[in-house]
Amino acid sequence: MIIQLLVSGLALGSMYGLVALGYHMTWATSRTLNFSQGHVVMLGAVVAYGVHVAAGWPLAVAVIATLAASAAFGLVVERIAVRPFFTAGSPVWLLSTIALGIIVENVAMVTFGKDARAFPSTLALKPVFLLGAGVYPQELLLPLAGVVLMGGTQLFYHRTFYGRQLKAVAWDREAAGLMGIHVPRAVATAYALSAVLAGVAGVLLAPLLNVSPTMGTLIGLKAFAVAILGGLGSAAGIVVAGFLYGLVEALVAGYVSTGAREIVGFALVIAMLTVRPWGLGGRRPTRRV
Amino acid sequence: MRRALGWTAVALTAAAVPLVTANTYYLYLAMTVAIFVVVTCGLNVLAGLNGQISLGHAGLYAIGAYTAALGATRLGLGFWTALPLAVAVTAAVGAGLALTGLRLSGPYLAMVTIAFGIIVEGALVEWVALTGGPGGIFDIPRPALGGTPLPLGRYYWIVTVTAALALLLTRNVAASAWGRAFVAVKDSELAAESLGLSPYRVRTAAFTLSAAFAGAGGALFAFLNGYLSPDSFTLQTSILFLLIVLFGGLGTLAGPLVGATALVLLPELIRQFLEYRLMLYGVLLLLSVYFLPRGVVGALARRRDARPAAGDVSSFDAPLAREGAPGGEHARDESVIVALEGVTKAFGGLRAVADVTLRVRAATVHSVIGPNGAGKTTLVNLVAGFDTPDAGRIALAGAPIAGQAPSSIARRGLVRTFQTPQLFEALSVLDNVRVGAVGHRLGSLAIALLGLRRDATAADARARAALAAVGLGEWTTTPAADLPFGHRRRLEIARALAAGARVFVLDEPAAGLAPAEVEALDALLARLRAAGLTIVLIEHHVDLVMAISDRVTVLDEGRVIADGAPAAVQRDPAVVAAYLGTSP
Repeated sequence: MIIQLLVSGLALGSMYGLVALGYHMTWATSRTLNFSQGHVVMLGAVVAYGVHVAAGWPLAVAVIATLAASAAFGLVVERIAVRPFFTAGSPVWLLSTIALGIIVENVAMVTFGKDARAFPSTLALKPVFLLGAGVYPQELLLPLAGVVLMGGTQLFYHRTFYGRQLKAVAWDREAAGLMGIHVPRAVATAYALSAVLAGVAGVLLAPLLNVSPTMGTLIGLKAFAVAILGGLGSAAGIVVAGFLYGLVEALVAGYVSTGAREIVGFALVIAMLTVRPWGLGGRRPTRRV
Repeated sequence: MRRALGWTAVALTAAAVPLVTANTYYLYLAMTVAIFVVVTCGLNVLAGLNGQISLGHAGLYAIGAYTAALGATRLGLGFWTALPLAVAVTAAVGAGLALTGLRLSGPYLAMVTIAFGIIVEGALVEWVALTGGPGGIFDIPRPALGGTPLPLGRYYWIVTVTAALALLLTRNVAASAWGRAFVAVKDSELAAESLGLSPYRVRTAAFTLSAAFAGAGGALFAFLNGYLSPDSFTLQTSILFLLIVLFGGLGTLAGPLVGATALVLLPELIRQFLEYRLMLYGVLLLLSVYFLPRGVVGALARRRDARPAAGDVSSFDAPLAREGAPGGEHARDESVIVALEGVTKAFGGLRAVADVTLRVRAATVHSVIGPNGAGKTTLVNLVAGFDTPDAGRIALAGAPIAGQAPSSIARRGLVRTFQTPQLFEALSVLDNVRVGAVGHRLGSLAIALLGLRRDATAADARARAALAAVGLGEWTTTPAADLPFGHRRRLEIARALAAGARVFVLDEPAAGLAPAEVEALDALLARLRAAGLTIVLIEHHVDLVMAISDRVTVLDEGRVIADGAPAAVQRDPAVVAAYLGTSP
């Protein structure tokens, strides 16, 4: 059983990390984040279901549609829920992004239906045997895909012109603006990218979990927990925290109970915030007067 | 007058409900409104006055409800014992949560409250032996009065009166020193700290108070429903509570009433579109945040204009509190009041302040000048407790203060101001100064709730005197946010004065002032000194410094390069070199 638990922990953990990286991206560039990242996960899964399963198009088309829908939603969130409140000082964006998430959930409920549906995939049909334990190939694919995507994100940031612009904005908004970087556009890009990561996570998770309008809420919150545990400012910390969270969660669910899973996970977050609010990979902030 | 009429109308409507209808469902709805009013009154204090957004109030609400239900079913407690027990337990849990989470803000605080809500919800489901698990608790007995169980129509009165009480209590708190402290910590934590308030303590109080309200609401709900299950206490419930406060009007007294009424009744009115209920909430939340930052109540209220009618009367004629007062005898006491001994502070490899030794004598103006990056502001932060030196000693009136919290240094009589004035923007000019005058002596929160001692007259008189002394006596009712720039600095000084500062550390008070205002500032500082107060002046404005200072210390690259009387310092070749860039 332990192998199965570890595999499923790593699989889910990689997705938490991926979604959490989205929180990190927008936080780094704008000190705001999209509290409905979890709803983007759901959006990704629902769009993929609609295009691939319901309409019968190839999976590749479904993935492209998901990417486009997620990015578009990310842009919408930035434009109507974040940008107007940028200078508000208080985290009003927290509430406006929640509002958009609620609206999307309701739209999904009306169009997709309330009931959960299975997302058939050849990778989640028959278990393969790994060290004597049966696991779905999809579960093995997830951590791989997660690592590749997280690595790709880092490459984009460090190696491409556009990624470096985002990095510059993250480092110092004002200076970046003075250097001719269009800061609002950089922030919008970060929002689109962060939503794309969540949407991809939705597609990857769909075959393992059932697709439903409420599937994303808890994933989004757990990813947020991971982002806090790892340190909102630290991509590396978040990747590590994602896997750790997934593993702890799987072990608690396996050996204690599935209900205790959430209790332990979120208690860990409160403990971390009490002891080390800047997270595993973050640095202690200095106070500015 | 109109306000009184409005509240009377609300009271009459509430009283009419059980007379007009005996329909159980309508009574149930009306009581749900009242219960939500109780919960969101507390949330209104927390989010509206203190600026903390909690997404975990459903968890507190649940703890109140389950405590009352367990008390009634397991311990056989009656309603009248179970309710206070629920309030006490929830307040204690809230205080515990506050102690762990409230050093945080923004998304971090949101995370703590969400996590708390999820943990409570998980515990309700998992801890079957205590909570009955997913099935919940059944057969909670009806509240009784004198041994006879009350019918729903009678229980309605208890719930409604509690809601009225909740509104009354929040009104009292908002008008008290505690209420001003809540707002002060929200608007500028730095300034609140510099006046002796502990933001942590103030936040903890606000959170505990709001938890107590949530607990009361939960208990009322348990006795109304007769059964409890975890479904009533999800994240969605927390969001609904926040939405009620936001929609009604954050920080307005009637906000919770308007919000709760609207959000309980609206879904009932559109019942044929039940599947769009979430959409309604989402859109309302977005609209509340978007178009009506202050909600329906704020949109309806007329903006009152409280500026003085004519031009500014900025006379400095009003006497200073200390002039001629017993404290005045120190006026000629030129002993050292602030002493720095080898103070050093490095950021990374940069030594912002290096081995600074400095003595400030009482009742003098002691200026610290130096080019940009000389370490002046770091020095202010070290002296006022906003930063801890790596090495060296700092003493205030002989007592070591290095590394102490800004609030405790402020209580010892050293108050700083800021380069960019840090005002409590949402408070009036007078209330800004009252926060200083009261400082950490907030008194009992219970007394504030009951509305006793609304005017601490001594502190009030000090506040008014301080305002008059800086020439803002005519501006008392103006919101600080509407104050002209030059007056903002004076308000900061008045606030420090009312806080009982003996030593003022002023960080570039002349920056951005017009020449006439600089002259007025000069006169004000001279008067403060004459009243026996000590001023440490961090300045760029050389004219002001040379005109008023008794002693000048020059910093360059973190080191003291000159120290002495203004005229001597002005001729010092090292100083000339530092400013003009010639090599000595």
